[in-house]
Amino acid sequence: MKLDLTNPGQKYSLHATRKKDMETMGLPFPREWNRENFNLPPNWKEVALAKLDELRRKYRELQLFFDICVACGACADKCPFFIATEDPHNMPVARQELLRSVYRRYFTTAGRLFKGLAGGRELTEELIHDWYIYFYQCSQCRRCAVFCPYGIDTAVFTMAAREVMTAIGLTPRSLTESIAKCEVVGNHMGMQPAAMLNSISFAEEEIKEETGIEVHVPINKKGAEILFIAPSADFFGEPHWLTFKGYLKLFHQIGLDYTMSTYASEGGNFGTWLNYEHMKKINRKIMKEAERLGVKWILGGECGHMWRVLHAYMGTMNVNPEFLEEPISPITGTRFKNASYSKAVHVCEFTADLIRHQKLRLDHSKNDQYVVTFSDSCNPARFMGLIEEPRYILQNVCKNFVEIDPSVNRERTICCTAGGGLLSDETLELRLRAIKPKVDAIRETGANFLALICAIDKAVYPEYLKHYRIPVQVGGVHELVGNALVIM
Amino acid sequence: MAVFFGGIIYRVLKWLVVPVPTMIMLTPAPITRMGVAKRLGLEFLSFGSLRKAGRKLWLGGWLFHLLLGITLLTHIVTIFFPVIWSTVGYTWYELAGYAGILFAAVISFLLFRRLVHPGVRFFSKYSDYFLIFLIFSLAFLGDYTRAFGKLDQGAVSSYLYGLLTLQPVLPPSNLAFLTHFLLAQLFLMYIPFSKVTHLVGWVLAPTRNQRNIARSEWHRNPWNPEVKLEPWESYAARYQKELEELGPGGERR
Repeated sequence: MKLDLTNPGQKYSLHATRKKDMETMGLPFPREWNRENFNLPPNWKEVALAKLDELRRKYRELQLFFDICVACGACADKCPFFIATEDPHNMPVARQELLRSVYRRYFTTAGRLFKGLAGGRELTEELIHDWYIYFYQCSQCRRCAVFCPYGIDTAVFTMAAREVMTAIGLTPRSLTESIAKCEVVGNHMGMQPAAMLNSISFAEEEIKEETGIEVHVPINKKGAEILFIAPSADFFGEPHWLTFKGYLKLFHQIGLDYTMSTYASEGGNFGTWLNYEHMKKINRKIMKEAERLGVKWILGGECGHMWRVLHAYMGTMNVNPEFLEEPISPITGTRFKNASYSKAVHVCEFTADLIRHQKLRLDHSKNDQYVVTFSDSCNPARFMGLIEEPRYILQNVCKNFVEIDPSVNRERTICCTAGGGLLSDETLELRLRAIKPKVDAIRETGANFLALICAIDKAVYPEYLKHYRIPVQVGGVHELVGNALVIM
Repeated sequence: MAVFFGGIIYRVLKWLVVPVPTMIMLTPAPITRMGVAKRLGLEFLSFGSLRKAGRKLWLGGWLFHLLLGITLLTHIVTIFFPVIWSTVGYTWYELAGYAGILFAAVISFLLFRRLVHPGVRFFSKYSDYFLIFLIFSLAFLGDYTRAFGKLDQGAVSSYLYGLLTLQPVLPPSNLAFLTHFLLAQLFLMYIPFSKVTHLVGWVLAPTRNQRNIARSEWHRNPWNPEVKLEPWESYAARYQKELEELGPGGERR
């Protein structure tokens, strides 16, 4: 293993949030600042330490993981950002150490007495600069945790450090711009109701041109059985759009009584990557809307971090959503017992169930031109365990399916390296380097179609594959479902 | 001993009073408690995650803990139940001695790795070196005492019995043993304040001990904060014109 002690990671730092967005979101210490000059408030140190103290009393995992890491180094070379930069601070344990050393210095007896000798570090502005760089060079993908003998999860540290930085007014624009739009307009793209209607009508027209079938998408329809939530990129992104049409065809064919919403037109949740408050704010909208519309349950489209929130956090954040009912597929009668509390079903679970009950007429000849492979996304794989369902669907809608080397796929996946707020131009070079092990593995499969179930994956892979000159088309699982589906 | 047990209990309580506010299980994860027990049990026996991480480190770590276990067991048997050796045969006693030597060798490997592996050296702290030196000294002195120490084990037994029953007798005046014993006490007292707390802490890691039931059962967050949202009404008022395009009441049925 090689280290580059010149710290090449220092090159990649995210732009600062503008003062007006800080004000819109009600973030602390709204002011002008930039990557070089943080312009920190005078009492920043007390605020930061008080926040850190608060967090370790709120999150057992944080306190526990502060204490029990033995620095064995199992995680060291597993982080794609370390592989890309060889910057020692990008080793997961070293990234954790940026925060842990401050904990030691201020919150343990040995650290208060012996400081550096006990592995403690003063909280200085210089260290905060390192935090701002390296805690935004972690996509919270949790690959490192898979290899840790105690399951220590660097995302816990990253999220805590970002909470602390938010408290002293340090937030990157790549997150806050989208969050502000989401909280005001309803989605990260800032797409207003008319634009959403346009987009959906356009999809309906395209499907009519292609198949002669008229599909109709209800929006804000009260009393529908199901609220369908998708990441907003699906409404116009390329290649997300084709997946979106895939859903619409599927819902039309099975005669699903569903609705979309303009108020909750975002499944994604950039708040997750900033702090608990904004994560809950964005997620809560979905529940509020489900209640207002009087739906029975929620169906969620293909998205990674959206499902991290819907699966792992939503039930906790929204206590007892009793206005909803246990999800039952209206077509097959299957009870989704796995979602009996928070009442949200993943579209891959839903479709896999339809296929299993032979409720779909599928003609894979439309996909015969493709050799399809599937890249697991970090959140569905490591936060949900949704690994087999997409594969089951793909094997039913395609003739040629090949697997990617499991050392960079399944629960060990290296996915997009653009999650966690890293989806911005400042990090493009870094991400292109970080993705190399994965694109090499994709090249080796010989596939010409890469199927994905994450909106960020879909946004970044075309660029990555073009850069590495790998002739593979990128699309969603439900794009291929849409191709194969015989609709009437 | 009191510091050790008291310290460990204090540690564990300190962890337990803090809530786990969210589900953060690492999937694929079991959905039953039996499944979790199996997952943790296998992890305990085979160090499976570490094996995925790298063979050399795994072998070092796994052997270290295995030999540590054997060594501790040998100590307990020899000190408190020496009669067991005559039952199972003294060959086992001899083998345990070799295990002790191998133990020191494995510790040297781990120390060597910490010194030469560029990554590990980067993030190693004084406390990491202190601990590994301490354990090495313990193992080395233990091996030395056993091989060349001419130690009267009966005297050690009665000394420790005396300590535990609060009727102390004089310890055997054997320098190697006394140093070994002193370090051992130091080590025990240091454990609760060090990373060695992983010996109980690992079971508490929510990433491994949570069941994957995040959508089917309620997980309580005691400090779950209320958030203020813009209600539909004011949203609808702001986009009134646009929503009308959808249909009456902003509905496209």
